[in-house]
Amino acid sequence: MPAEAFPAPFKRDTHTVNGLKTTLFSAGEGEPLVFFHGAGIWHGVKFALPWTEKFRVIIPIHPGLDGADDDPAMNDFHDYVMHYLDLFDALGIDRFRLVGFSLGGLIAAHFAAGHGDRLERLVLVGPAGLRGKERPKGDLFSLPPELIPSMLVSNLDTLKPYLPENPKDLDFLGARYREGGTLARLLWEHPYDTKLPRYLHRLTMPTLLVWGEDDKLLPVQNAQLWRQHLPKAEFQTFKGAGHLVLDEKREAVDAVQRFLS
Amino acid sequence: MADGLRFDFIHFMHYVHLPENQKDFPSLWVDFPNRYFDPERGHALYQRYLSELVLADKLGFDAIVVNEHHNTAYSMMPAPNLIAAALIPQIKNAKICVWGTPPNLEYPNRLAEEYAMLDVLSQGRLEVAFPLGTGMEYWANPINPATARARYRESIDIILQAWTQEGPTSYYGDFYTYRYLNPWPRPFQKPHPPCYIVGTGSPETIDIAAQLGFGYASVFVTKQRARELNEKLRRGAAEHGHHLRPEQLPLQVITYVAETEEKAREEGIDHIRFFFEDALRTTPTFLAPPGYLSVDQLKMRAALADKLHGKFNFDAVNESFFVAVGTADQVVERLEEWGENMGTNHFVFLGAPGNMPNWKVVKNMNFLAHDVIPRMRARRAADRRVAAE
Repeated sequence: MPAEAFPAPFKRDTHTVNGLKTTLFSAGEGEPLVFFHGAGIWHGVKFALPWTEKFRVIIPIHPGLDGADDDPAMNDFHDYVMHYLDLFDALGIDRFRLVGFSLGGLIAAHFAAGHGDRLERLVLVGPAGLRGKERPKGDLFSLPPELIPSMLVSNLDTLKPYLPENPKDLDFLGARYREGGTLARLLWEHPYDTKLPRYLHRLTMPTLLVWGEDDKLLPVQNAQLWRQHLPKAEFQTFKGAGHLVLDEKREAVDAVQRFLS
Repeated sequence: MADGLRFDFIHFMHYVHLPENQKDFPSLWVDFPNRYFDPERGHALYQRYLSELVLADKLGFDAIVVNEHHNTAYSMMPAPNLIAAALIPQIKNAKICVWGTPPNLEYPNRLAEEYAMLDVLSQGRLEVAFPLGTGMEYWANPINPATARARYRESIDIILQAWTQEGPTSYYGDFYTYRYLNPWPRPFQKPHPPCYIVGTGSPETIDIAAQLGFGYASVFVTKQRARELNEKLRRGAAEHGHHLRPEQLPLQVITYVAETEEKAREEGIDHIRFFFEDALRTTPTFLAPPGYLSVDQLKMRAALADKLHGKFNFDAVNESFFVAVGTADQVVERLEEWGENMGTNHFVFLGAPGNMPNWKVVKNMNFLAHDVIPRMRARRAADRRVAAE
């Protein structure tokens, strides 16, 4: 039986915004800290527990991923930004700290470019979305599903508690396949965002960029692309951590917390 | 064809000269290196395959069938309309079936134009199918698999509008805008060439065939599933006010006929093995790009994958799929039974499977044309006499 992906004190809520039933997990008290997860959240949010001691941590599940309802009409990042404006209005959250990981980093960057006045501080962890000269090493779409977990981490033990015993578990495969369809609507034509660099200068809030040095999916060299556009951002890398640097390195979680405090 | 029976010959035009280490490649589709394509040998194969289709016409088959695939040794026909155009001047009587170009892989107006050209060139002998295209095509072509079904549906609407309404018309869709939809030439047949959908049984595709009153041919599904699909389509078509005729349900049968059953098996099975084990070999990821299937279909197919893609076993394939290998009498028996079960009188012979050499293909075609087809026609005529008495 896989481990609990959303352990207590995280509790699940649903909100209907613009006709779409959405799911979010929250825990803790204090000023709001929103976390935009990556292209899958089956590995859970255990890493975020330390943040809940200091902040009201809010982790919305992106539409079309994991247990969240899907809206096939959502097919670009603008749709996600608009969705989150609706959700934050519904939650009554005005200004907040935003952490975005991988795909969530890309959504966070879009949000910050358009609505930076709402962000106290921004953390981008292994963000996806900028185009380098080389083809991205790990194209999630073309990787066979059984290889994806090992591409995400430096040490597979991190993920084992969340993986089904049978790698061909149909429910797990089906859930991941559904997510693939959601992601394909956003990223099939280009696994990067050609417009984003044009607007990154608007990220004037204090910003931290975090990367795992053993990232196999988006190698740490990708950080240079971001740093060209975010010259004032702080930058930290972590040894012995893959793409899921927050899941693998408590030091990274603490560094984010220090930056946000 | 006055008796309603129809017999087609389909050719896949495999590139058969595979390297010795071909088994090391998990897929002969999508990423199988194209350096293994030798143009000299390719030329010889085109000559040979075209001659086999011309022979099918001479032997009296009712139609020849070609189709489209990309990035694969499975098929040398990424553009089947070119093959059809090369055949039209050489084929005197048979219908020419392009089953077909996936509408998503061309601009819909252009596909409407190309099919109209072939229909006019052949004086109305064209039949077309609108496949969604295999999952593999979406790794080879720059079209999003996650929106493929919606785009496909829109493309078919545009093509039908182009064919059935006098132009210029306009179309403002989710994927395409036409300010002047006015393709020249228009089809020879009125309102347009007979249309089919070819698919592997996704409910969404069956629904489209039912809505539009198109024929439907299921491929690479088991006999039992094919029968269920035909029934589902008949019901669905009726709900949309269409009466589906038996000839609209073409049944594809892998066939090899020889003097004795032993000889047929001895000469045929190795090539059928090549067809399943090599030509069709690909990966689950290539078969199902993201968003291409519903989650239910993905789970259903993943559960079946081990059965379909295991080590080739002729008896298992023979049991599950429409395979008729034997004497003319045995093949006639099977076709009669399947025709009745499936509610069709339209048979498509997959008579050049895998790496079958020319002499066997020609032998097979001759048995089909001289022994199988006439016996089936004679039986049908005898049935009619009995019914009349």
